[in-house]
Amino acid sequence: MSEKYETHIKSILAECPDADPEAVSAAFAKYESEFFIPPQDAMRSILRRFKGETTPSPSAGSSGNSPSSAPKTTRKVSRLSELKGDDREIEIEVEIISHNIRDQTIRGEQKQIAFGLLEDNPWEENGEKNRWEFKDWGPNSNITPGSVVRIEGASVNEYQGKMSLNINQSTRIAVIREGTRPVVAPGEPQDISSLPSDGYVCIVGRILATRPDQIHRKDGSGSIDIIRGRLADETGTIGFLSWEPLSHEVGTLLKIEGAQVRTFRDTPELNFGRTTKVEVYHDKNFADVDALSEQTVLTLSELRDGARDVDAVVQITEWAKRSFMRDGEERFLWSGQIADPTGRCRMSAWNELPITEEQLPVTVRLKGVRVRAWQGIPDITIDNSDQVEILDAPPWDSELDLKNHTVEVALDELSTGASRVGISTSAIVVSVREDSGFIQRCTECRRVLREGVCADHGPNDGNSDIRLRLAIDNGRSSVSLLTNKEATLSLLGMSESELQDAINDTGQVAFVQSLRGKMLGRKINASGRTIVDEQGAMLLADGASMIEEDAGLRATEIRAQWRVA
Amino acid sequence: MQSGTTRAKRQPAWHMLASEFSEATLNEKGSGEYDPSFVITKLGAKVNRVVVAGLLERLEVRETSNGSTLYQGQMRDPSGVHYFSVGDYASESMRELTLSLVEKTEAGEPVLLLMVAKSRWYQTDEGAVYTSLRPEEACEIDAQKYALWLTRACEDTLQRMKHFTDSLSAEPTREGLVAAGVPEHMVDGLLVSRNHYGEIEIENYTLNIMQALDIAEGRMEAASQPVVAPAPSSDEDSEGAEAGGETEVKDTILSIIEQLDQGDGVDFETVLTNTVARGFDRSLAEEKLDELSNEGTLHEPRFGWFRIVA
Repeated sequence: MSEKYETHIKSILAECPDADPEAVSAAFAKYESEFFIPPQDAMRSILRRFKGETTPSPSAGSSGNSPSSAPKTTRKVSRLSELKGDDREIEIEVEIISHNIRDQTIRGEQKQIAFGLLEDNPWEENGEKNRWEFKDWGPNSNITPGSVVRIEGASVNEYQGKMSLNINQSTRIAVIREGTRPVVAPGEPQDISSLPSDGYVCIVGRILATRPDQIHRKDGSGSIDIIRGRLADETGTIGFLSWEPLSHEVGTLLKIEGAQVRTFRDTPELNFGRTTKVEVYHDKNFADVDALSEQTVLTLSELRDGARDVDAVVQITEWAKRSFMRDGEERFLWSGQIADPTGRCRMSAWNELPITEEQLPVTVRLKGVRVRAWQGIPDITIDNSDQVEILDAPPWDSELDLKNHTVEVALDELSTGASRVGISTSAIVVSVREDSGFIQRCTECRRVLREGVCADHGPNDGNSDIRLRLAIDNGRSSVSLLTNKEATLSLLGMSESELQDAINDTGQVAFVQSLRGKMLGRKINASGRTIVDEQGAMLLADGASMIEEDAGLRATEIRAQWRVA
Repeated sequence: MQSGTTRAKRQPAWHMLASEFSEATLNEKGSGEYDPSFVITKLGAKVNRVVVAGLLERLEVRETSNGSTLYQGQMRDPSGVHYFSVGDYASESMRELTLSLVEKTEAGEPVLLLMVAKSRWYQTDEGAVYTSLRPEEACEIDAQKYALWLTRACEDTLQRMKHFTDSLSAEPTREGLVAAGVPEHMVDGLLVSRNHYGEIEIENYTLNIMQALDIAEGRMEAASQPVVAPAPSSDEDSEGAEAGGETEVKDTILSIIEQLDQGDGVDFETVLTNTVARGFDRSLAEEKLDELSNEGTLHEPRFGWFRIVA
């Protein structure tokens, strides 16, 4: 009898005296080596097998290793200048100068990280102080601007001669003096980037643009003078409309209480009325106009239906002139595809731009353009050719082939954001729908036929097509994934006829079940475009592949990341 | 259009170990007919759907009173057991799979299963809440895929434990939790779970995770060790120490039941995990629980639920 399972085998034999100890031992070995089930968890299954009867019991086996709690030793320093580029596990007291949070996609996962500036020598009033940037991967909730903290177990990062401090998930932060800046509470100024889509808010922001405008009453009874403009803080910018006179100049920092957020299409706007309190605000640390203006330059991923005054730098990858008739007159419209490193979309112009097809791709700076969306895909509209400036070279790596470029986007961002083109994402397959495989599409509208009938065009023969209908998920959001014929065949590693044979051999139900065996619970990467509406997001993929993962490696990484001994 | 009802957004699926799900006693059901229903765990996960895996330990058919067929099963992972049922309402493929699995379990063939399932709960007349699962889709998996699932469940549980711990020092309001860095998908659950469960012990989950990671890393030797060194099984161990240990286990079990009993008794699994968490060997605790029950210190108002005899 194997000594390894001695106590477990004894327990089984106590219940089933007739069982063969060798067979019991072999069963334990099989559960352990082939199924990763440790003996204490396999007990009940093996007992049932040898007993040959069923005695359900609500018991469970749970045990593990006792945590080894050897404390890490940290090296204490008082000044940043004492640190070298490869220092680890250091301890230092610093004042947090600034603290910002941003979402970052790390290996396909959306994570929040914090970054900012910190300063050493926090206690000496007029002493010499050094400032470093820091990144907080936690991020720790107790790091606030103005606070003095002791950081235990940080590491130094040196990049191109510039030193910064990395605060990891295992780093301990002890707050020694609370921050002097208050935590934002309702009624206090909110960041522009985190404003709600409607309701009354309070913000502090600098005026980036202001111009008088008029709104004409629909009933023709006259017009109202208004002021339009744009405000910014460090987190973002927002357009405003004031129904009251507003004489502040560009660059003025304002505190605005009781402004109303209204959302037109997908773009929020602030409205100032009679009850809105506008006052000049003083904060010499607040970013200046130049720094804030850079934020009006949007990437394609940030475009929202209905946005105005948008600046962007994009590459035109396709451009063509089209004509159409209006009021019996031939008119022209120029349109095509544009791209930047964050994605792709369409652009249309009502005036001819000095661009020929041979020159493509052409990089242009767009100023003050507006955004409309069609089927959720943003379409930039150019009303005047002077909104477009042709650049000599793109501000990003010119080697980048944007025409075929896809951007990795976290699932959460896809499921809540605007519809996007040229994206890819990774998530776990949580459903393989029964109608995956061959389908018939309406010959008129490509809609999938149900029992040979199109909802709009009635019965028809249909065209055969192949697709998979999946649901993918990351524990927070779920997206419906449809892979097209090409992506499906490459994912399954089959030709169309092989797929047909596989389904004919086993039947549709068994075929779908075999897909589940391959895909359910596994990570998939899919690329294509999304359509987002109230019912959620749909990813129409023209490429998809399963991601191979090594469980042992992942487990070791998790131990390290979370300090699970 | 096919129907007039609006399709709700699909609920996300949580990767979760059996211990966290089975210990949940809180639920939430919206007022509308199509509002999703949730089981809310101690760590604040609002669970409508899960991705779970483990060893299929039992799968049996039950004839119900109205003549329909119901399969009931249990699936074990390193932290405990999931109870699930597959009825006539399940999809054709799920029912076909269930039939083939029944054959395998009857033949004593080990099966590792992964399922995407909806959370279910019911409350007895006495007020006790039981959770179970209704698989939507499932498949047999090999040990490697099981190991991968274990790592996902561990990582997500660790993340939830961090959010839970972060929430403890925060104002128990939505704004307070958000300010403490709790992400949106955890806020609502943590607010109500804290209110319902009060102070909880999360050390158990750490132990579950350590064992699950051992398995994922292929360190089966380590995964087979009990949390604390087991009582020596040789004949030499002193009678006195053994006896002292035994009284201590019994005292611990009694104090756990006294503490956790809210009128319906405390279930077997809760008693044991808490005893193990206090450093006792599981099989010893199981034995002593039996003894306490046999000698009349405890009684079982219902199968598997223990109360102290007043």
